Order: sequence, then C-alpha cells, then structure tokens
Amino acid sequence: MADNGAADPGNNNNNKPDASEGTIIKVTVKTPKDKEEIAISEDASVTQFKEEISRRFKAKQDQLVLIFAGKILKDGDSLNQHGIKDGLTVHLVIKTAHKAGDGASSSPSSSSSTQAGSSSSPSPGTNPSTAGTTGPAAPPTQTPNILTGFGDLSSLAGLGMGSANFMELQQQMQRQLMSNPEMLSQIMENPLVQNMMSNPDLMRQMIVANPQMQQLMERNPEISHMLNNPELMRQTMELARNPAMMQEMMRNQDRALSNLESIPGGYNALRRMYTDIQEPMFSAAREQFGSNPFSALGGNSESGAQPSRTENREPLPNPWGPPSSTSSSENGGGTTAGTGTTTGTNPSVSNPLGINAASLGNGMFNSPGMQSLMQQISENPQLMQNMLSAPYMRSMMQSLAQNPELASQNPASSPSAGTNTAQQQQLMQQMLQMFAGGGGGGTQTPEVRFQSQLDQLNAMGFINREANLQALIATGGDINAAIERLLGSQPS
Amino acid sequence: MAASSGVKVPRNFRLLEELEEGQKGVGDGTVSWGLEDDEDMTLTRWTGMIIGPARTNYENRIYSLKVECGPKYPEAPPTVRFVTKISMNGINNSNGTVDSRSIPILSKWQNSYSIKIVLQELRRLMTSKENMKLPQPPEGQTYSN
Repeated sequence: MADNGAADPGNNNNNKPDASEGTIIKVTVKTPKDKEEIAISEDASVTQFKEEISRRFKAKQDQLVLIFAGKILKDGDSLNQHGIKDGLTVHLVIKTAHKAGDGASSSPSSSSSTQAGSSSSPSPGTNPSTAGTTGPAAPPTQTPNILTGFGDLSSLAGLGMGSANFMELQQQMQRQLMSNPEMLSQIMENPLVQNMMSNPDLMRQMIVANPQMQQLMERNPEISHMLNNPELMRQTMELARNPAMMQEMMRNQDRALSNLESIPGGYNALRRMYTDIQEPMFSAAREQFGSNPFSALGGNSESGAQPSRTENREPLPNPWGPPSSTSSSENGGGTTAGTGTTTGTNPSVSNPLGINAASLGNGMFNSPGMQSLMQQISENPQLMQNMLSAPYMRSMMQSLAQNPELASQNPASSPSAGTNTAQQQQLMQQMLQMFAGGGGGGTQTPEVRFQSQLDQLNAMGFINREANLQALIATGGDINAAIERLLGSQPS
Repeated sequence: MAASSGVKVPRNFRLLEELEEGQKGVGDGTVSWGLEDDEDMTLTRWTGMIIGPARTNYENRIYSLKVECGPKYPEAPPTVRFVTKISMNGINNSNGTVDSRSIPILSKWQNSYSIKIVLQELRRLMTSKENMKLPQPPEGQTYSN
C-alpha cells in the first residue's frame, strides 16, 4: 500500500546505474548556471569532494560552497554524514570574494574602485582570444563587453576582482560600463584594447566563443556570416573604436533606409526587415551587450561598414536590381540596393528580406536609381565586390545563373542605362569573379592595399600573383592565413 | 494509498517526498532544503538555503533558513525563519522570523504548496522592487536564536 516513490527518500529513482557497489558514487553538482557529474568515493570527506569539484569547475577550493538538503557542507564533514548518496544532487555556489556565483557585482563600490584604478592597465591583450588563459598579470576587469567572447576564463580566479567565473566578471563590467560611459571611451582609447581590436581574427574568435553569442548565431545565421567576413569584422571594429565614425555610418544608413521608404512597397519591406531580423537580434544582443557599441557587432550588423550593409538590411544586393535611389546618398552605400521587394516571397532565414530572386529583374530594373547604380558599379569594381560579399548574393547568383532568361531580361529592360548585353555579361563575370574572390575591398583596390603582403609572398616563393591576391583578399591581408590558403589549394 | 491528485496525502508521505526532492536537487539550483536532523522521524525541522538572486542587494549571498512543518502540514503552512541576517519586508529584523501574514504564499497557503515553493517564493520576493535595494547587513551574520 505504500507509495514507493514517496516513501523512499534515499531511493535511487533516477536512472543511474548502480555504481555504488564499489565505493564510487556519482553525485551531480549543480550551480545556478551549470551542472556536472562528479564521481567520488562515498566515504570521502567534503574536502576531497571539493578538490574534485575545484578541478572540474576550475575554481579555487576555498571559493566553493556546497549545499546539500539545505545545509552547508563544511570541510571537516564527510559525505556520508550528510547522507550524500549516488545520484543525488549537491548545490554549488562559487564565491568570489564577495561573489557567490550567481551573477555580477554585488558591491559596486569596491569593484568600481578596483576597476577605475586599473583601467589604465588593461589586460585584453593578455587574454588570448581562446578561453583558458592561464592567469595574465593585469586584472581583466576593465575589458569591455567584447570579452563576452572570451568564454569561460575562470582560471582568472584570484586576479583582480578575484572572479572565478568570467561570466560574472563580464556582467559586472557591463554594469560598470553601462553606468559609466566615460569608462567605455577610456577603454576604447587604450592602445592595448585598440590593438586587440584591430586583429579581426582575435575578435571573431572571442565573439564566437561566447555561448550567448553562439545562441544568437543559431538564431540568426546572418550574424555568423557577418562574423566570418574578415573585412567586415575589421571595419566593424574600426567603427567601434571610433564612435564618430560609427555615428556617421549610422547616419548614412538611416538616410539610406529612409530613402527606401519612398519606393512603393519599400515601407513594407522595411518593416519586414525590422520585425524579422533586427528586432530579435537587437533585443537578444541588447541583453548581453547593453549600451556597448559592440551591440552593433552582435545584434545589429548594420553598423558594419559599407559592405555590411548588404548583410542584413538590404533585401537584396541585386546587381541589376535598382538601388532605388539609395545609391545617391552614398557611394559605398550603393549596396543598399533593390529594396523594392515587391515580390511575394516571405522572408526566410537565408533570404531575410524575402527576395524572390526569380522576379528580381522585373520591377526593379527600370528605376533611374538602378541605372546610376550600374554606372557607379562599372566605375568602381570595388563597390561591386562589396555588394557581392553578402552571403545571400550567392543564392541569388545561383538562381540567376540558372535562369539565363532572367539574366538576359535584365539587360534588355534597361535601355537607357546605356548598358548593353555584352557589358552586362562582362559585369556579371566580373562580379562573379569578385564574389568568388571572397569578401575584401575597401576604398583602394586590393592590390594596392596588399602590396607589401604581395611582395612578401613573392619573396617567399609564391609567384602566382593572382592566387596570392585572392588569398590575401580572402584573409583580409593576413599573410599567414593567406599562405595557408595558398598551400592548401596547391596540390601536394 | 496512492498519491494521486485530489486525494489527501498523509503528512509524512508528503514530507518524505519533499525530502527526496531536496536531495535530488529538483529545481534550478537556487534553493535547497533538507531535514535538519536526519534522525528526525517526525520530519518537522528542516533547513533551507536560498541563494540570493542576481542584481539585487541579496546577490552572492547564501541565506540559511529554518522551516518547521507542524503536525498539520501540509494543510497548515510551515513556519519559516531566517537564520542568516537579512533585511526584507515581512521578515522580522531582530529574530528573522518570516511573518506569515505578510508573505502571500504563507497567508494564502494551499496544501499543494511545499517547502520548495516557499523558498522559491521568498527568493522571488527578494527581487521585488521594494526589497531588492534594501541595504543589507554585512554578510555572514546570523540571528542569535
């Protein structure tokens, strides 16, 4: 008559295999954020248990507070004493001076003084982008929210704030930063930080390593596209570094967008853009990044430089599609092309603005703005390349390639553009080539920019200038990466 | 006797169930509870633990409580008392007792509530506007009784 489930408190009702026939038991250790299963002898003392835990959670033993069944486990006790058996759960709290593993700063006054004091000796440079740094000298405190990308640098325990859990540290810093904008600019100005930020790979690694970011990326693949474009990263970072530039960029973009509104159907497209893309991303990013300019990086890719315009804001960087008068507002911004997504395709993830590639050529081609775009493009191949670095260009290209009629339709329907079929095709090829060449570009041609790198590659024996250039473009000027690319592509 | 809903579950069974849950760490890991004394056959005295929620003045602190489930439990609410000093509405400042009339879950007790729910509710109240910014006594202090 007894109810087994209720009447057996110590019963192992969960599915653990009976591992306690020896003396090893498996105990689940749970923190508010995390959960690990730890195997330990059932006769062990709390101290031994903590040793094991400190290894697994990468925290110091004296920072660990174990709670079981509402009681704090003292070091001198044994697990047996508290009745800790196989399959049960112990709660763990990782204290960090005044922290208890539950989040960020509790005593802002003391933490802010430490931060302010050490803001001149930033440690971002000492923290390699991957997690698991071994204890840099300088306190990591004032590094800005970009450090969310650092992942769990809990080995930083004992440093600076003594934060065992880097997440807490970050949150703490975020709070600091949010309440003190000057601090942010201070940080930004610091050469070390700037140095770090100018390394796109580093930044990308950091950002990607952050689990929150990863979630964000899952939700919005554009972000991962954006992150993978080295050029874009660099420009974004420069932007972040230079708030004035960022503002300028935003302004340009806003202007472009407002132009969009004036096309028929443009407003709807805009709205769709916003609700489908920007809102979730922005709010997702805002949780983590607060008011940090890097929120742009994570949540709002439009703050990326010109090429990034194509990432999320434009319905379609259609080479033949009309920029619909946005090209008039900026040269580089010609990428905000073809917004009149009057086609009926609903926005999907890879085609965020609902561009129905098939019907592209039709409505858009005839507007005057389009023609000026064409001209600009022909004059500035770089622009074309920028436009093309958007990921979904690829899909559009494919569909266009498959649909030669469409392609021919395009040239045909813009008589006054002065572009004839041959030119169009040439343009197409050029675009394809550039696109294949990967994202790159800026205001100078790659050759000019990578001149020194090209020379170096030459000196090293890579004599294929074309290939070198391609590799450099693809890696954004990073010689080592370019070499690897080159070596990788050569038959061995 | 089956413990299906709608049937009045005997006190001991309820408490044993709660004991088990406490040991298994059911929940999100921010509260913990268990028998104060494992030999306590009446299952009356319990200890609880609340981890102060983030972004409040309680954050990073571990609050220890004593919960007493009287003979009428679960029909009657348990009496709860903070051991760790805390400054919070509804908690007596000098001895840490939780005022059953000011904490809604205790004043409007239902027999489906449990110790876990009480602890979680107290934790939730820590995040309320009126509580979250209350200045707290230094960490580690306890009430003398």
